[in-house]
Amino acid sequence: MYVEDFEAFYEQAIGLFKARPIETRYSIKFRNSEGKLVLKVTDDRTCLKYKTDQQADLKKLERITSIFLPLMACGDLPAEGVSGSEAGQQQQQQQQQQQPASGVQASSSSKKARRRG
Amino acid sequence: MVLLEPDPFLSELHKMYERNKSGTVWITMKRTNMKPRKSKKPDPKAEYVCLIRANDGKRHVSTTISPTQYPKFSQSMVIIMKGAMADTLKRKEKKKENK
Repeated sequence: MYVEDFEAFYEQAIGLFKARPIETRYSIKFRNSEGKLVLKVTDDRTCLKYKTDQQADLKKLERITSIFLPLMACGDLPAEGVSGSEAGQQQQQQQQQQQPASGVQASSSSKKARRRG
Repeated sequence: MVLLEPDPFLSELHKMYERNKSGTVWITMKRTNMKPRKSKKPDPKAEYVCLIRANDGKRHVSTTISPTQYPKFSQSMVIIMKGAMADTLKRKEKKKENK
């Protein structure tokens, strides 16, 4: 249940969501008194957990949260493509034009093109 | 369960972290089309949103985030979480500090 390596946890969590987007949920539990943070991703069949007490892992929390929020809101990562509803498709196209997505190779090349032009 | 707009939800989340220095704060995110349980017919026009719930054991609040709202909300939520957790989590001891 507990995954030691964050990258493995991250990859498996995204895999779970893409396989069963409606059933998968992501929980964050923070106990201030113990200073412990537990991330949990489950689709009611498989449960993945990652626990930490390190301040350095806040970056990992930020990374995974900022991936899961667009995944759950849009159905898929905006820059990679669409697997959601038609309304989501139109909104994602608008977002691609207005806001270049972060952490994606396609968007970085388009940024370079804009700077040169 | 109180369903709020994104901004009041963020305020409430911040307050939860402030109030619960000795307890636990849970945040859960799930994709849903928010259809009521009683309706048996699947609605093809139903739009999917991200349902976010927060609770501290006493108070339960939630909000829905649509595809257009998530960038700003995501940034704000992460700032709140990091701000609340930064002081309590352990820092790695640097070996090269003392010279």
